[in-house]
Formats: sequence, C-alpha cells, structure tokens
Amino acid sequence: MLQPDLNLLVTAGEDVLTRSSDERRPTEAPEKQENPFDFTPQLLRLHKDHELFEDGDIQRHLSIQDLFISETEDTSALSVSEFGCHISGCSAVFSTLDDYEHHYNSLHRHVCCSCRCSLPTARLLDIHIQEWHDSLFTVLAQRQDMYQCLVEGCGQQFRTSKQRKDHLIMSHKYPPDFRFDKNKKGRGTKEAKRQQQKNTAMEVVGVVQESQGVCESISDDPEEEQSMETHVSSEEGAAAQSSETHTAQIKPQYSHRVPPTVCFGHGSVRGFRGGRSRRK
Amino acid sequence: MWKLRKLNRKAAQQIGSMEEFRLKRREKEKALRQARRDKQLVSKRLLLNEDEEQLEVSMETTSGEQDVVGLFHKLRHTNPEKKEVHLRALSNVLRDPSAQLTFIKLENSVHLLVGLFTGSDAQCRLQAARCLHELSHSPHTNVAAACLPATPYLLTYLSGQSTKFTELCLYTLGNLCPDSEGVKEKLLAQGIIPALASCFENQKHNLAVVEAVGFTLSQLLQTSTAAEKAIPMVLASSLPSQLLSVLTPDPEFGLGAVIECAWCLHYLICSSEDHRVLLAHGALRHCSSLLVTLGGAVACGNKEEGMELLIWPLLRCVGNLLPSCPVEDLRSQVGDFDLLVALCELVHAYLHIQPALARETAWVLNNLTAHSSEFCSAVLTFNLVQRLVPLLHFSQGINTMVLRILANIAHKKKEFCVQLLELGLLSALCATLKMTEPEMVTLSLDVLFMMIVSSPQAAEQFVRLGGLSLLEAIQYNSEGQMRRRATYLLEQHLLTYQ
Repeated sequence: MLQPDLNLLVTAGEDVLTRSSDERRPTEAPEKQENPFDFTPQLLRLHKDHELFEDGDIQRHLSIQDLFISETEDTSALSVSEFGCHISGCSAVFSTLDDYEHHYNSLHRHVCCSCRCSLPTARLLDIHIQEWHDSLFTVLAQRQDMYQCLVEGCGQQFRTSKQRKDHLIMSHKYPPDFRFDKNKKGRGTKEAKRQQQKNTAMEVVGVVQESQGVCESISDDPEEEQSMETHVSSEEGAAAQSSETHTAQIKPQYSHRVPPTVCFGHGSVRGFRGGRSRRK
Repeated sequence: MWKLRKLNRKAAQQIGSMEEFRLKRREKEKALRQARRDKQLVSKRLLLNEDEEQLEVSMETTSGEQDVVGLFHKLRHTNPEKKEVHLRALSNVLRDPSAQLTFIKLENSVHLLVGLFTGSDAQCRLQAARCLHELSHSPHTNVAAACLPATPYLLTYLSGQSTKFTELCLYTLGNLCPDSEGVKEKLLAQGIIPALASCFENQKHNLAVVEAVGFTLSQLLQTSTAAEKAIPMVLASSLPSQLLSVLTPDPEFGLGAVIECAWCLHYLICSSEDHRVLLAHGALRHCSSLLVTLGGAVACGNKEEGMELLIWPLLRCVGNLLPSCPVEDLRSQVGDFDLLVALCELVHAYLHIQPALARETAWVLNNLTAHSSEFCSAVLTFNLVQRLVPLLHFSQGINTMVLRILANIAHKKKEFCVQLLELGLLSALCATLKMTEPEMVTLSLDVLFMMIVSSPQAAEQFVRLGGLSLLEAIQYNSEGQMRRRATYLLEQHLLTYQ
C-alpha cells in the first residue's frame, strides 16, 4: 500500500525523533538531511473518561436529570482557528490571513541576518547590508562616494552618510530623523532607548540585544509618527495588545540559539528576501 | 419513559420561567463537569407519577419533616384499608431531601416500608414502591444505602408481569446502583444481571420497560469499577444481543429505549479492548446502519429533538469498535460507504449547535480512513473532501482531526495526493500552516511533504502560492520539529525553486 519513498519516511522518522538535536544546529547544512517526517495514520481508541467525551457525557447526564434541551441556536462553543506569526519571539496573533500577511511582509520580510533588524523594502535592506556589514564597502568608502541616495531612481552617491542625509533633507524634503537612515554615531542613546521598550517584532534572546545596533526595527518609538512610515506600528501595537491574551499559548522560552551569522535556507547573508516568490 | 420526560420539561417550563430552568441547567452543568473530572459522575432519574403531568410538579414542603413523622405513625397504626392513602401521601412528602433524611432515621421505617412493599395488597405495594423510588433518588448517599434491604425484592419483581410496577422497580435499582461499591457488589451478588437479562427477554415489546432496563444497566456499567466484574458478566449473558436488537430504526419503537441501550453498548465497548463478543453479535453493523439512517434523516432536515443523545453513543461505539475490526472485514461490517456520507452529514448538521459531537464524528472518520485504502478512495469518489476542507477553520480539535483524515488519504497512494491537489488542498494548507495550534502546523507540513513527493505539480503550485516565504518563516519557529520539517522541504525538495 505504501509507496517506497513514503516507506522510507516512516522508518527514517523514528530515528530523527530519538535524537535531541534541538539545541544545536550544524553550522553548515549537511549533504543529506535526515527525513523528519513521521506521519502515520493512527487508529485512535478513546476510553470512557477521555476528555473528548466530556461534552457528550454531560448532555447525557443532564438528560437523566431532566435538564436536557436540544440546542437550536448557535452556541458559542464553536471557535475559529487563529493565525500566528511563526517567528520565534513574535507573539502576534491574527484572526485573518490578510492580517498575517501584512504583518509578516511588513516586519519580517526584509530582515538582516546579521543584526536582525527589519527594513521595509528589499532595496533598503540591500543598502543596509552593504553599509553595515560589508567590510569591502568600508574600505571603498574611504576613497569613493559609496553612500547611495535612499530615494529610488535618484542615483546620487555621497562620501559620507551625513552628506547623504543632508541631500535627503535638502533635495527630497525628508525629515531629519528618518527612521531608516540612522547614523552610526547615534548608537549609544538609541540602544539605551531600545532596551527599555518592548520589541515585539524581533525578540530573539540574548545574542540580539547586544548586536542590534543602530538599525531600528519598526515597532520602536511607537509615539513617533513619521510621514514616511507605514502605519504598521500602530497596527502592530494593536496586534501586540491582542496578543497579550495569547502569550500564554506561545511559549516565550526559546531553547534554540540562533547564531546571528547563520541564515537558513539560502547561501546569502540576506534573510527573508522571498524575492522570487513574491505574493500577488 | 421518553415521552414522559418531554412532557415534564414542558411542566418545568410552566412552573418557573424558562430563564430559571436555564439557570438551574447551567449550574447543574458546571457541577457535572467538575464531577466528571473527579471521576464521580453520577446521576439519578426520577420517574414521576402520571397524575403529576397534569398537576403542578412543585410540592409544598414547609412541614415536610413533621408530615413524615406523622405519616409514619399513621402507617403503623391504621388498619390495612387506609394504609394506601397514607403511603401515597408519604411518597409525595418523600420528594423532599430533608424529609428523606428524617424518614430513614425513624426506627424501623424502612423495615415497615419493605413489609408493605412485599405485602399482599397490590396497591400498597405500588405506593410503597413509590416511596422507595423517592428514597433512591436522594442526593444523600446514606438514604439510598438505607434502602438496601429492599433490593432482593426489587430484583425478584423484575420477573413480574405488572409493567408499571416493574418499571418503577427498575428505576429504583438504577438509582441505587452507582451510589457505592458496597451497593454494587451486593446487587451483583444478588443476581442483578440475570434478572435484567430475563426481564429484557420477557418484556422486549414494551418500550417503557426496555428503556428502564437500559437505564439501570447503563448505571451499572458506567461506574469506574464496572470493567472488573459487571462487564464480563454482561458480555457472557444474553444482554449484548438484546441491546443490539433494539438498535432498529423503527420509529414506532421510541427514542428513549434506543438511547438507553446505545449508552449501555458504549460503556461496554469503551471499557475494554477485546471486542470479539460484540463484533460477533454484529455490533458494528447495527450501530453503523443506525447511524446511516440518522444521517439520512438529518440530511432531509428531520432532526428530532434529542437525537444527539442517540448519535453520541453510536458514534462512540463505532469509533471504538473500528480498531478491533480487521481492515479486510471493514466493508462487510460497516456496510459499504454509506456510513462515510452519513458521517459527513452529521458533522455539518451539528457543527454549530454541538461542536463536540462534530468533533467525535470526525474522530470516527479518522478511524475509518486510517488503514483502509477503499474508504480513502471512497472519500474522494463521493466528493467528501470538498465537504471536509471547510472544517479546517474550526479549532478545538475539529481542524486537527479533519486534517488527520486528509493525511490518512494522502498517505495511501500518490494518485490520492494528485487528486487532493486537484481539489485545492494546497491553498487550504497555506492557511493551516499559519495557524496557532502547533499540531495543525506540524500535520500540515506532513501533508505538504506527502503531496510534494507525489507530484512535481504540487511543488510548483505551492511555490506559486507563496509557500517558500512561509517555509522560511517556519524555519524560525520555536518548535524544533517544525523547523526541521520546513528546512528539509526547502533543502531537499524545493531547492530548484529558490
């Protein structure tokens, strides 16, 4: 009845489960990973006191005591499943798929693997990685104009980030505190500010707090409303509120340590690009 | 009697308001749930007089205790012709729990009652039986225990011919059964099981008596220690085939009797894993065919009030019998694929009004499809997948059970996976992969894997639906088994799409 490859997955699965490789991931992806899939159809026997039988037993006993009523209206007992963000540490919960998509695309899509900060577009992510995590850039920047203008299509380049910032303010009428162009010099104060605030977008433990430098994620400073900013932060705040009640479900203990230099799935440093599989 | 109980409910509605009734019901429900958690789930049934249907049921019990003493005194000292009147009055007074307590503390009170119960005056017997019945219904366990001297006589009378009287005796016994181990031991020793079996045999055309036998037996079988003694005795008797013979869809027979017998069968089945006796008697066939009838009725909109009380135990019987039935006999035992269709009807009919029943129905579907290629194929052929997929939205175990059913199907053959693909399962999975329940996500990944290895179109479609970024996100989930699955899929099967 089983296809040969499915047979394989049945037997291989048992091996994987007995290992406790939860805590450590290999630093390079192995050539042939063990098959973790272990679904097998199961006949389920339920004994008399099983919790699945509770409601039926109660109705039976109410009937013995002459208190049974056949329900004709919708009871409130039926509930709909909710959707939850997968990213460990993000406890956002949604009642619609659209909300989920919006959350994910806004906050987790363009994330720098190195410092875990989240940027709203692929281009800004590219620029960020180049300027912050590329040593070659640092070298070249000493002799050439490497800092690109953030406005798409402008094309101008500048020797320092300050010059670029001035250009953004003068030519493109950007505000002086544009969130996605943070100075490296501003590190000290910003970091202190962040420690106080709850970061609901990316909260991977320990490693992140130190390495997260100047690059801010969107949910910081919720009181600052920028004209350039999407309205994600207020929504995120609302989602965070609604997720308060759900934190019990999502365990905030992450036993896995994800080294910041490792990105899963791709060879590149970029995370969550999803560029080739853009949703409609 | 079933009918009687429905009328009682109307009477209950007349006394207090509907609101009072609902309030009382809510409180009782809470108490019952707690009792079940404590494994102390016990209920007693009160058989009301015929004349109570017309009159108001509420009794004035202001001077209940005094009446008890007074009546008892009168009973002892009046001449035989008057005793019946006093007994009748006493049975009314004994509705009140505090009067019950007072009564049993009076010296020789139960002895006197038993004497009248076994005396030569038939009317006195009946009224004395009423008194004993009221006592058996007491919430105080020592009251019921005080009735023990009557049990050998109660059992003897089960072979009698007076059906009204027999009914009363049965309900009294049924109320006494679950009270304590001592009571049960005694009843078993005194031969309650053979007595019930022969009563059933003799009175099988009287649906009120059959209902009463069923009730009493269910009380005996429901207790936690029933598996040790009572159940083997019952299985060895003629009761199993008697119970099954009642499971006929004959509308004349009356819902009440069928309900009681079905619950008896459920307790018999779920308390053990050896079902050879019951399977040999055709238990699976009987239960399945009745479920098919009920499913058909529901599909036509004929939902009789209280039908869920019958559907529930039948589902459980089938669900727990299926693991004991060899796969090759499944079709002959269950009777073709009508059951599949009926179960799908039931899921949808009760989804909103009794979600727990819908969940149990899904459980039975899981057991039907777990190891049988034929039944999995039938689910596809009868277009039931389209009826199941919408159920993936509902939580509290309904979605996980339905996903298991779909996984059962996918697991059997590549061709089934291809069919599931054509039915749009992948886009449903893209939703279930985002749900908060970890079991849903893991199961979804399992199904996704099965579909991807079965056809290249699956991978293509999944990527088109935006699946890659979804899997990437899952790689950051805090659950290891999700991460591993997502990574495996991305690295081993979806590499060419990245």
